[in-house]
Amino acid sequence: MTDATAEFFEALAERGHSPLLERAKGTVRIELADGKHSERWLLAVDDGDLAVSRRNVACDCTLRADKALFDRIVDGKANATAAVLRGAVTIDGDMEMVVQLQKLFPGPPPKRRRQSNGSKRRRRT
Amino acid sequence: MSDGLVQILDGNTFVVSDSRGDIEASLSDPTGLFSFDTRFLSQWVLTVNGQRLTPLSTDDLQYFETRFFLVPGTGTVYVDSKLSVIRSRAVGNGFREELKILNHDEKPVDLTIRIDAGSDFADLFEVKDALKKKGTYSARVTRGRLELAYERGTFGRATEISATNRARVDKNGLTFKARIEPHGEWSTNVDVVTAVLGSGERHDQPKLARARGRQNMETNLKRWVDNAPTLECDWDSLRETYRRSLVDLAALRFSPPIMGHRSLPAAGLPWFMTMFGRDSILTSLQALPFTPELAATTLLALGDWQGTRIDDFRDEDPGRILHEMRYGELPAFEERPQSPYYGSADATPLYVVLLDEYERWTGDRRLVHELEYEARAALNWIDEYADLMGNGYISYQRRNEKTGLENQCWKDSWDSISYRDGRLAGFPRATCELQGYAYDAKMRAARLAREIWKDPEFASELEKQAAELKRRFNRDFWIADGEYFALALDSDGKQVDTLSSNIGHLLWSGIVDKSKAKAIARHLVGPRLYSGWGVRTLAEGEGRYNPIGYHVGTIWPFDNSFIAWGLRRYGFKDEAARIAAGILAAADFFDGRLPEAFGGYERTLTRYPVQYPTACSPQAWSTGAPLLLLRTMLGLEPVGDLLVVDPALPVGIGHVALLDIPGRWGRVDAFGRGRVSLDEKKGLRQGQQAVPV
Repeated sequence: MTDATAEFFEALAERGHSPLLERAKGTVRIELADGKHSERWLLAVDDGDLAVSRRNVACDCTLRADKALFDRIVDGKANATAAVLRGAVTIDGDMEMVVQLQKLFPGPPPKRRRQSNGSKRRRRT
Repeated sequence: MSDGLVQILDGNTFVVSDSRGDIEASLSDPTGLFSFDTRFLSQWVLTVNGQRLTPLSTDDLQYFETRFFLVPGTGTVYVDSKLSVIRSRAVGNGFREELKILNHDEKPVDLTIRIDAGSDFADLFEVKDALKKKGTYSARVTRGRLELAYERGTFGRATEISATNRARVDKNGLTFKARIEPHGEWSTNVDVVTAVLGSGERHDQPKLARARGRQNMETNLKRWVDNAPTLECDWDSLRETYRRSLVDLAALRFSPPIMGHRSLPAAGLPWFMTMFGRDSILTSLQALPFTPELAATTLLALGDWQGTRIDDFRDEDPGRILHEMRYGELPAFEERPQSPYYGSADATPLYVVLLDEYERWTGDRRLVHELEYEARAALNWIDEYADLMGNGYISYQRRNEKTGLENQCWKDSWDSISYRDGRLAGFPRATCELQGYAYDAKMRAARLAREIWKDPEFASELEKQAAELKRRFNRDFWIADGEYFALALDSDGKQVDTLSSNIGHLLWSGIVDKSKAKAIARHLVGPRLYSGWGVRTLAEGEGRYNPIGYHVGTIWPFDNSFIAWGLRRYGFKDEAARIAAGILAAADFFDGRLPEAFGGYERTLTRYPVQYPTACSPQAWSTGAPLLLLRTMLGLEPVGDLLVVDPALPVGIGHVALLDIPGRWGRVDAFGRGRVSLDEKKGLRQGQQAVPV
């Protein structure tokens, strides 16, 4: 079975840098509950450089959620900000780090996207 | 205060009550205690011995504090004056109410004082649209406190009510028993605290909003006003308008949860106390010469939330600047898209415009470096995502067809974009001002690229694109027989041929060919657009023109302030001064607080500006309008490290001195004397260099 969260963090670790987070500096711990089990990820951001680990150290911000929900968030099937607003994801510490983190989540999968009718949308690339 | 409603606020926490201080809301009634877009109290009714009270007077002490003077009894001419009730309310984290009762009699009096409390925990959108709730309510009494709560899954909001005096607390309120001696008094404090509940944990609001003490808020307001430039002039009403604007702007400051104690201008009180891309940017631009720190926070916060993905529900694209952020139940459950919603076609180019204008005033190159990625992403959005028709122009069409916005320009009502014969244009729509903003964004970004990012190639490329856009625009949008620019191009690329105030924004952006500018200026102060008070949103004679139509004939002070700036940009000082004079004269009729819009009736017909009935006052960009008009009248323009002053005041104003204008020069003063005649176009001129102090 694939583990969307693990894949997401592995991809981040591999990327090692995101220009979206170049203004950010700090650490965020992600604590995910899965029935009786729980798992923990630590993302350290330093001017856009990303480091992923499972270490248990002091951090600027802790994000807590059910693993199933977080899997959906990293797949773009659920929206992180709405989840925070309804308390399904809780934040302790620096909110700014979560605003930075949510930039890394993808949008809804393309198959869910509707083509707007009558649009002459054409990308000039 | 319309309808006897009293509003006080702190950040996005506010109370709307009747003139007794009571709240008796229904689902569609807009009174209550609101915080983060949720109503935390919908009932708050004070009785003394079972009797409701009658207001003698209501004092708005500060924007966050009100005092109600009351006497028991209602409905009769005669009131029993043996008792006075003074109810003082200050908003902070929820609110604190100080209740004081004075016995003027020679005999002691025994009183039962009761506050009935309740909450429907309605989302602001539910109040506006009268929708039904889906969660469950509870009320419990613990250790002398009443806790009202609402839960829907993991979503939880609670209101906690307690008093400093002993009270009998039940699930519907608090009861006090008091015996007051002759000429004695009784008092208590009642605290209402709002809380966000999540995943079984309890988070008081201070996690989101810093609780601010009353003392603290007073000091803060004083510092705010003291830090702004001082205005001296011989027109009393302008001084009053200026003071009112500064205080209202203070009230409209909003600290998004991510910005700590720093704040940006929210759009309007009470329904729009949140971050809006367009409103926050335009208000920051208006206020730059006065309170430049608002612009910095706006740029950082909007940069943090800049779009990064394609999301049709939120109309989000990479690089797009948000339209609106909300914190209530409906966005939380994705029944509304404001988490945040990105459906705005102008906020993104305007973001780049603000970044450049901010640096020109403050010299804060660091922020321009910091936001280089965001600025480039915004510019990329213009080319890659905003050109829906593939014709090189920004146009808009919502992808969220259920709850997204149809019109994604500032004239966002359904009937705002019409042809001369009144037909509405189809989608996508490319309104003209969007192209001006895109041009300006590219030109300004070119300067930033060359001078700060040290990327001359990018600068040249942007200038090339801008020049090409300007050339095409002046060809495709120009209506030769009317000598003005079309309001928009429709989905077939045809001109939407109405004459509108949007052409004023084109002057501001600089996209107008010099040879066409004179005709545009003539229209702006001509009889079809100019009413005597200001420029109408739509010209008289157009099919949909209506002097009290929201975006089809009314006059918007904010719109006019940018039009005046545009006229100055092209050297039409007299015309700019004329518009400033009209709007500032109108402000006098509203005690210095300009409404969002007022009627487009001819000035000579009504003699006074007819207010358009809107729910929001003060409105941020109306509050900012007098500030920008002051800037345009004084002709303030940063040039290098100097502030150039080139005043052109209407004759009604003898002299204006604006002292201690903050900027990259430190603080300087600017002076101007009235020279522009409003009736005839006389010469004025005489530039003046600012004097460093």
